Amino acid sequence: MSWAWQNRDQVGHYLGQHLYLALLPILFGIVVAIPVGIMCVRWRWTWPPILSLTSIFYAMPSLALYLVLIDYTSFTDWTVIIPLTLFSLSVLIPNVVDGLRSVPAPVQQAAVAMGFGTLRRTVQVDLPLAVPVIIAGLRVATVSSISLVSVGQLIGIGGLGYFFTDGEQRDFTTEIYVGLVLIILLALVFDGLLVLARRWLTPWEAGRAPRGQRRRAVTVTLGGSSAGLTGGHHAHAGHAGGGGGHGGGGGHG
Amino acid sequence: MITFESVTKRYAGGTVAVDALDLEIPDGQTMVLVGPSGCGKTTSLRMINRLIDPSEGRIMLDGQDIAQVAAPKLRRGIGYVIQQAGLFPHRTIEDNIATVPLLEGWNKARARDRARELMDLVGLDADMARRYPYQLSGGQQQRVGVARALAADPPVLLMDEPFSAVDPIVRSSLQDELIRLQAELHKTVVLVTHDVEEAIKVGDQVAVFYPHGKIAQLDTPQHLLGSPADEYVENFLGFDRGIRRLAFFSAGQLDLEDGCVLPAETTVDQARAGAQRCGEPWVLVTDGNRRPRGWFAVSDLDRQPGQETLGTLSLPLAPLGHTFQVGRDSLRAALDATVLSRTGRAAGVDNQGRALGITTYERLRAAIQTAEQAGLDGNPDQPVFREGRTTPEAQTDGQTDPAGSAEPAGEGVRPS
Repeated sequence: MSWAWQNRDQVGHYLGQHLYLALLPILFGIVVAIPVGIMCVRWRWTWPPILSLTSIFYAMPSLALYLVLIDYTSFTDWTVIIPLTLFSLSVLIPNVVDGLRSVPAPVQQAAVAMGFGTLRRTVQVDLPLAVPVIIAGLRVATVSSISLVSVGQLIGIGGLGYFFTDGEQRDFTTEIYVGLVLIILLALVFDGLLVLARRWLTPWEAGRAPRGQRRRAVTVTLGGSSAGLTGGHHAHAGHAGGGGGHGGGGGHG
Repeated sequence: MITFESVTKRYAGGTVAVDALDLEIPDGQTMVLVGPSGCGKTTSLRMINRLIDPSEGRIMLDGQDIAQVAAPKLRRGIGYVIQQAGLFPHRTIEDNIATVPLLEGWNKARARDRARELMDLVGLDADMARRYPYQLSGGQQQRVGVARALAADPPVLLMDEPFSAVDPIVRSSLQDELIRLQAELHKTVVLVTHDVEEAIKVGDQVAVFYPHGKIAQLDTPQHLLGSPADEYVENFLGFDRGIRRLAFFSAGQLDLEDGCVLPAETTVDQARAGAQRCGEPWVLVTDGNRRPRGWFAVSDLDRQPGQETLGTLSLPLAPLGHTFQVGRDSLRAALDATVLSRTGRAAGVDNQGRALGITTYERLRAAIQTAEQAGLDGNPDQPVFREGRTTPEAQTDGQTDPAGSAEPAGEGVRPS
């Protein structure tokens, strides 16, 4: 640890690069996956070929792709970002599709019958309801991406992966461990952030509420005349829960 | 007015869901489509808001072919309630209800005000506004579903098995609620159900479907029970339709015996004389406000001191049993109260709970006979009596009686 502190400038530099290399592909991934996913649900025939394509992305060895890309993008960040984006798509597109398909049939039917047009229904009903499944996909993609960046070190662009090769060349295991621990920590932190994001985005999910809150909801249902009072408490509990969640987020960071 | 003009729906593979259907649904009425599953009732309903398009024929809404109207626009003018409520899980109750107003471009504040209004209308506590659907019971969710359908005040309301996913008690109260709302709002309601009891309870008109997409009979509930068109309809209605039909005759038609309704101050001698005059083996004892308290057998009075008043006798009163309210309740309720009573008699009361007289099997038989005859010769345009619905008769007194008349048997009838 003291080694990491003494070399904090270097550690900070590679940490930043690692984050950049890992998260930019996720950002690109989600921006592409949502419209593609919508398309696959809307025009069903497009789904089988795209599913095959995502499977290919998933199976493709990233190292091979780095080496191929060097011819086109040489030793720039793109050589790492492009394969990782393809990898994230292989996880995110199926998740977006599953998420959109998880919208219960009565809800979809009600939306159509209320007079939602296709676009509005997608944006206001289907996508919000797909959020839990999409975030589940984002968690897998993000953790994988954070881990996979270090492979880029084999072509010299690997964020914290630098400490693996450098530590190995200098026969200095502490450095390897520092890289390893930081990568694991990064993965945990971003996974936790996504869990919080999900809670914040989906206050409506049955069973996601803290236990006490759920039980209160049931009392309200059965409570009859006392429903007013109990309801008030319930609303407060909701806010308190949210506040606690944010507090937890701060702790992690 | 919704008109089906020889509408057929044929699915790929040749299945005919709806077969050359002609149907007129008049404004302001509740039309119930009932039949076994797969009979085309739901398909017919969904063709009205173009969730399904007909293969042949056309559907007119107020003289306009609905195929000529853009589907989303058409749908915003037609309320829709489905079985599982189909609420948007990610929207609060008020935002669920405000869905159509928001689609119509109302500003958020106005849409939410409207949502609060509707919550009140369908009997939901205002403090549920900010909750999410998962926090509500099935019955409450269904109320939200109804409120959402009514939000933009559409003239037409389509209900697709709206109450079949809730338990029988909640279902019954939701049906009562629909009847109450309909009396207030006069929407054109089309309701699909497989439950013939529900059809008879809530429908002004009932269309019974054959299993293959044709209507077997279209009639008022009363006529349906009274004269089913064929064996299929008769079997579909169930075995006790004769009794159920009595729900469409007012207990006001009963010739009640009032000679043996006696206040507690009456002496035993007077009571015996009264009973003799009207030939009744039981007398009904009432309190100072003429509210019935219970029965004495005339044979028991014979052994009591003649100058004593009915209120001071040590003899226990036989339990009153259920009463029925003349003008509000039906012959079915009167018959039921009579069958359940230990004395074979039941007291008819006014809307203040005051005894008007008693009925017996004989008197019921006579009233049923008269009613059946009138029902058969009856003018179909005449407003029919409907149990549990407000009628002019029940309103005559101008005052309402919160206590109602259906007091539990035997309660509060001890002599003081």
